[in-house]
Parts: sequence; C-alpha cells; structure tokens
Amino acid sequence: MPFVKRDVTAPGSTGRRAGDDLAPHDDGLASHIAALGSPDIEVRWSAARALGGRADAVPALAAALGVEQVARVREAIMTALMRVGDEASVMALLPYLRSQDAADRGASIEALQALPGAILPFMAPLLADGDSDVRLLATELARNMPAENATQLLCRLLEHEQHPNVCAAAIDVLAEVGTRDAVPALQACAERFAGTPFLPFAVSIAIARISDTDR
Amino acid sequence: MAGSEAHGPRAVRVTPEDVRRLCEFLYRRTGMLFDDNKRYYIDRRLVERIGATKSESFQAYFAVLRSDADHEIEQLINAFTVNETYFNREEHQLRCMTSDLLGNVIRGKRPGESIRIWSIPCSTGEEPYSIAIWLMENWRLVDSYNIEIVGSDIDTRALKVAAEGIYGERALMRLSRDVIGRYFQPVADGEHQIDPGLRESIQFTRANLIDPSEMARYRGFDIVFCRNVLIYFDDSSRRIAAENLYDCLGAGGYICLGHSETMSRISPLFRVCRFSDAIVYQRPEADHDGR
Repeated sequence: MPFVKRDVTAPGSTGRRAGDDLAPHDDGLASHIAALGSPDIEVRWSAARALGGRADAVPALAAALGVEQVARVREAIMTALMRVGDEASVMALLPYLRSQDAADRGASIEALQALPGAILPFMAPLLADGDSDVRLLATELARNMPAENATQLLCRLLEHEQHPNVCAAAIDVLAEVGTRDAVPALQACAERFAGTPFLPFAVSIAIARISDTDR
Repeated sequence: MAGSEAHGPRAVRVTPEDVRRLCEFLYRRTGMLFDDNKRYYIDRRLVERIGATKSESFQAYFAVLRSDADHEIEQLINAFTVNETYFNREEHQLRCMTSDLLGNVIRGKRPGESIRIWSIPCSTGEEPYSIAIWLMENWRLVDSYNIEIVGSDIDTRALKVAAEGIYGERALMRLSRDVIGRYFQPVADGEHQIDPGLRESIQFTRANLIDPSEMARYRGFDIVFCRNVLIYFDDSSRRIAAENLYDCLGAGGYICLGHSETMSRISPLFRVCRFSDAIVYQRPEADHDGR
C-alpha cells in the first residue's frame, strides 16, 4: 500500500504556518490585538480569526479594518466582526457599504445580512440615506429579516423612494420575503412609476407571489 | 403538475407562484437550481414537507423555512437531494484529481514526499476509500509518494462504520466486479468489507467544519474533498467554514465541492480552476498586497 497514516493531531505532524501559534485556543486578547499590526500576513490573518466572536476586540478589529490592505485579511476581520454580532460590530461594518471597493461592499453586506436582529435599529436611517447606492444595498439587508420587519421597512421606503433602481431592489426583496401588507405600497409604486415599465412588471410578479400570504 | 395546483394530504394549496418563490429562495440559499420542467418533482417534495411540518399553508411553511425552525432547511434539502452515498460518487472529480490536480500538486514535491488528501465530511467512509481505490487503479505514480488520506466527520457513529468498512451491494454499485474482488472481502449477507490493509491506511477523525479551534489541528492538505455539506450551512457558518478550509490547505492546494456548490458564492478566498473533468477551487499560492 502506498498510503501512510499519521496522527493528524500530533504536534509537527502537519504543515503548521506562521500565525498558527495564535490559534483560537490562545485566549490572550492583547497578543492577538498586537498581532493585527504584524508585518506578516499570516500572523494578521490568524489574529483576526482568533478574535472572531470577541466583543472586547471590536475596537481593535474596526481599527485594523481601516488600514488592512490584504483582501483575505480584510475578509477575516469582517467575519470576526460578524461573529461578534453586537451593535458595535455592526457600526464597524456599516461604513463599508459606502466603500468604492466592490469587494468591501459585498463582504460587508454579507456580514451584515447574517445579523438581521442587530442591524434592525440601523435600517430606517440606512433606507433614508442620501446616497441611493446605500439605500439599494440596505434593501438587501432586509432579506434575512422576519417578514413583518422587512415588509414594514421596505413599504415605508417605497412610499417616497424616487430612484427606480432602489424601488426595483426593494420589490425584489418583497417578492421573496414580503407579506400581503405590502400590496398597497407596491401598487402605489407601480402607479408612480407607470412610465418605467420594468417596475410595474416587477410589482405584478411580487404581488402575485405575496398576495396570498398571511399577514 | 406544471401550471396547476398541487394538493397535499391536508389539502394545502400550492400555486405556481409559491413554487417559484421557493425555488428562488432555494437557489439563493443553496445554489440548487430547479426550472419549470422539474415542477412535479418540486411540488411533491414541497407538499410532503408542508405536511411533515403540519403547516396550514405554503406561507406558513415558508415562514418556518426562512427562520430555519427545527432545521427545516436541512430537511428540505434532504428531500431534494440524493442522501445515499456510494463508492465513486461524482466520479468526474476523482478523474480530475488524477488527470490534473495531482500533476500540479507533485510539481513542488520530490518522490517519496507526502501528498495529503482530506475527505470532510466523510460520512461512513465511502469517499475516502473511493479516493484510495481510485488512486491505486488510476494513478501511475501512486507508489512514488507517501499518500496520506484522512476522513473526518462530525458524526462519531458514522466514523465507526467507516472504520469497520463494511458495505452492501448498493454502495458498491459503481465499482466493477474486478475492483470489488481486489479491495473487498465478502462477509455475511451480501456485504463486503474493505481489505484490512486499506482500512488501516486511512485515518478517521472527528472534526467540526465550523469550529476554528477544532479545525486548527488540520493543516497542510494538498486536496480536500468537501462535498454537499456547505449547502446545509447558513451564510455565517459557510463563511467561517470557508476560512477554516483555507487554513487547512497548503498554498496552492485544491478543494472539491459538490456539484451544486460554488465557493465563489461563499467566499472570495479561493481561485476558480476549470479543468476538463471538473471545476475546483484553489488556495492561491500567494497573497496580493494592495487593493
């Protein structure tokens, strides 16, 4: 047999790398935080991963995200903040909805989407933001929320939203998660944008899907 | 049943729009794509799940599904997928391993060095044994390297079955009689047991994909088979699992996912590699500084 069997758990049996010494079982908050500023990418990556879920590390993670240049370390920092999932971690992630970097926007959206309860208090201001791109991305944050919350937030948006692309994004989310309480707001939106044919069409699909839903 | 309405045992009405809504949710959540010609298949399974959860309506069921109450997403995925595992399942990936991946893996190795392959989750062992048998049968350099195969799963009962290596005819249906003769010994009631030498060559361990501290024990793999498990995870668990898998691979190492799964929907950490037999994902050799 050409196969060999080794104890994968034995020290030195596998290719350990720089930063593995900072594995999550090491509880040293200070050393992990210090490691976020290491010149070694592996050490920064491992530190970010080790700090995942630690509320006391949020300020340090937020600061590191502000200066980190390596995409995968940024990804790990966002995951670490997502694993905390409190108000402070949400506030650390929210600015990246405005990033000029699509990867940052995508990563922050995904992380925030995983925290539907924590982002709820931030949704109304996000959906009223002066930047239509932020409003559009915020509609996507409603997708993982309970149907009642998503319906209420997105209907309020549809009542006054002027940007057709933002309306289209909200309608798409409502088609999946909305309740029939959204039908009047959807109908009003379709009337307001009668000259933009794709919106009444999208509204008709959404209404067909949710008009039988329980309130 | 396309264009009509399906009725379950408790006469719950499911409309075509309900099914479309479900399909869009399933696609976004799992990557599984069903089009209209699968309507009968979808309707039947949907109605079964509505009945099983005692939901009063599709809408009530959809709320249960979205909240993942009682792991309903897992139940629904199970209803839509082939849960049965067998030897040489998704054989094209095994072919890809010997026709493309290993050639790249050994580029940085001398004969006699180790090649590390990990099957996670390995369930009852069919996959790691399939990898071993496939290598013995199809890779001419199999004796030139020390090949280490590890099978891991969160379910210790499955691992016990894997270590025993006893399988019925259905699990062996994709193997030729010759191969069965070479690597198995008949035991009672039409079952076959993996050759003791092969059984002892593979290490079975418990591992939880979404536990970073547990996964920190596993490093330096050249190829990881991680098939049909990420679809069961929610978004945050998938993200954590992807980072854990990244750490478990050596630089340039490959990960093979199930056919409905795409790592690019889960994490940007990996590079997509298209080979003639399969699409796999690679941990890049180096990071690119700067953005």
